[in-house]
Amino acid sequence: MTAPGADRRQLLTRGAVLALALGLWFWPVPEGLVPSAWHLFALFVAAIVSVVIGAFPILTSSVLALAAAVLTGTLAPTKAFSGFANGTILLIVVAFLVARAVVKCGLGERLGHYVVSVFGRSTLGLGYSVFLVDGVIAPAFPSNTARSGVLYPLVLSVAEAAGARPGEEGRRRLGSFLMFSGMASLTVSSALWFTAMAANPLGAEIARGYGLDIGFGSWFVASSIPTLAAMALLPFVLYRVLSPEVQATPEAPRAARRALAALGPLRAPEKIVAATFVVMVGLWATASTFGLDSTAVAFLGLGVLLATGVLTLGDIAKEGDVLATFIWFAVLFTLSGQLNELGFMGYLGERLAGALGGLSSAVAGIVLVVAYVLLHYLFVSQTAHLLALFGVFLDVGVKLGVPVAILAFLLLFATNFFSANTPQGSSANLLFAGSGYLSQGELYRLGALTTAVNLVLYLVVGIPWLVLVTR
Amino acid sequence: MRRRPVLVAFLVLLPLAGLAPAGTGAPAREGWREFRGTWSASGRRQTVATEGGARAAIVEMSGAVVLTSGEGLSRGFRGEAIGFDDGLGVSLGRAVWTDESGDRIFSRLKGEPLQTGRTIVGSITGGTGRYAGLEGEYSFTWQYVVAAEDGVIQGRAVHLGGRVRRAGAAP
Repeated sequence: MTAPGADRRQLLTRGAVLALALGLWFWPVPEGLVPSAWHLFALFVAAIVSVVIGAFPILTSSVLALAAAVLTGTLAPTKAFSGFANGTILLIVVAFLVARAVVKCGLGERLGHYVVSVFGRSTLGLGYSVFLVDGVIAPAFPSNTARSGVLYPLVLSVAEAAGARPGEEGRRRLGSFLMFSGMASLTVSSALWFTAMAANPLGAEIARGYGLDIGFGSWFVASSIPTLAAMALLPFVLYRVLSPEVQATPEAPRAARRALAALGPLRAPEKIVAATFVVMVGLWATASTFGLDSTAVAFLGLGVLLATGVLTLGDIAKEGDVLATFIWFAVLFTLSGQLNELGFMGYLGERLAGALGGLSSAVAGIVLVVAYVLLHYLFVSQTAHLLALFGVFLDVGVKLGVPVAILAFLLLFATNFFSANTPQGSSANLLFAGSGYLSQGELYRLGALTTAVNLVLYLVVGIPWLVLVTR
Repeated sequence: MRRRPVLVAFLVLLPLAGLAPAGTGAPAREGWREFRGTWSASGRRQTVATEGGARAAIVEMSGAVVLTSGEGLSRGFRGEAIGFDDGLGVSLGRAVWTDESGDRIFSRLKGEPLQTGRTIVGSITGGTGRYAGLEGEYSFTWQYVVAAEDGVIQGRAVHLGGRVRRAGAAP
């Protein structure tokens, strides 16, 4: 039973979202856009705003937007439902289930106790451990979504080993801190290494047209200082903001070692999961070399876990959150992708970038980077964002006299560090966002904070560093 | 959640930033009106092997044609194109540009295969609504064409420029 005040507030917010959707829908279509692009934008914005102001949960707003888009003829059904067959989204679903197996068999508990035994003297130390592990394994994973599938079971295990459970108040903020550390870590680990995100080489290919030869080494040199600064600062900022219930745990490492000893040797299901996981990690790490599909690798792992009985159909049936995540992300992924296909993203990027004429090169460069980051609120894929806008912004910056190497690197790093701005900002967020430890409000608030911290760091620390190393 | 109003305002006002006054087009000369702009497009490419080892391809792309000048034309269009590359250097296609009123400009495309740095030439063959009876020509160069996963390609065409006039206008 909800309080009357809460009911009124919900009615108001829902009314506001409806008014926003209708207002934008019937607003005169800007010159240069087709009506379907404008109408889809109205639905997309209404869906996102409804989540941000708490009018509807993200699943509800997404499916309502999808239904409206198809029933009004804004999108053809075949286009509208195409996200449900997207390989990356399926990879998330399967990674959720594999992570559940890691926890269920007891391997997760063992991993969690191990991490706590090494880093567990403080909650902040656990946060840094997440960034450290991610930063070390990142260069071997061109798919940051696949990497999230490796990192998430570890973070989940650490959270559980530390006594945090979704929905239980005692140590909820501790769990929130660790989960969001996983999301935030992916924003910077992907920026640290050229090979840590699929869009990085694509961006380098576009930048080659401007005479830039960006490879593994030059990328790392350029990214190292600002990214390491972000890795050092982000856990601390999140820690201060979330203020976990338990902060200093000097006895935790010893207790974890005792718990590890009590667990005894690996049991058969743990061995199966460990072996499966090692094979999956190996195949994911070498997927681009051998032309393997990352989603198929995940399906292979899930198949093995089901065939060996480590996971059962009953376990799958319990994972209702996975279905919800699959639906809302596939919907938003499709809507955002269609905005691009209908010309909205290109139009917006060209117009915004083109409006910067007359600014000094330094100001124009900073405005371009900031605008590029803010525009990620309209995207549901880092790669799609880069492909749609990186070349446009780089081109405009070059024409305005912004040093091409500095601007290119900043935009490329931004393509990674803005990924946590919203839960749908990257498919790599979904496992953490769907863990149950973070509310929708927290996800947007912490996402904005993380993106702002990254943006400031990459501008303040990154620009002087890039001036130095790109001479 | 003090950032919420800022975020909401940003999301709503963002596209309105594109409503600045249009640039003036080049003056009409002998009935011809020149235009310039860019085309950012995404799409898909399907290929099949040919006897010479090259691959023939069909390409479908759509995105935003944004004009910086062009008297009598909208400031932008949704540009859609479909093309065929026989793998031996011959590329043919058709394109349609649609503006905010649903009025269209049709053109025939011919040129080099879809690759970074290659140039395509278009012949405007007619239109609907305010563009009925239009004729003209244009060309553009692919600043970049990159292939992402799942057969998706993204490109940006620059030096998009040409001229149009009403069919039958004074030469």
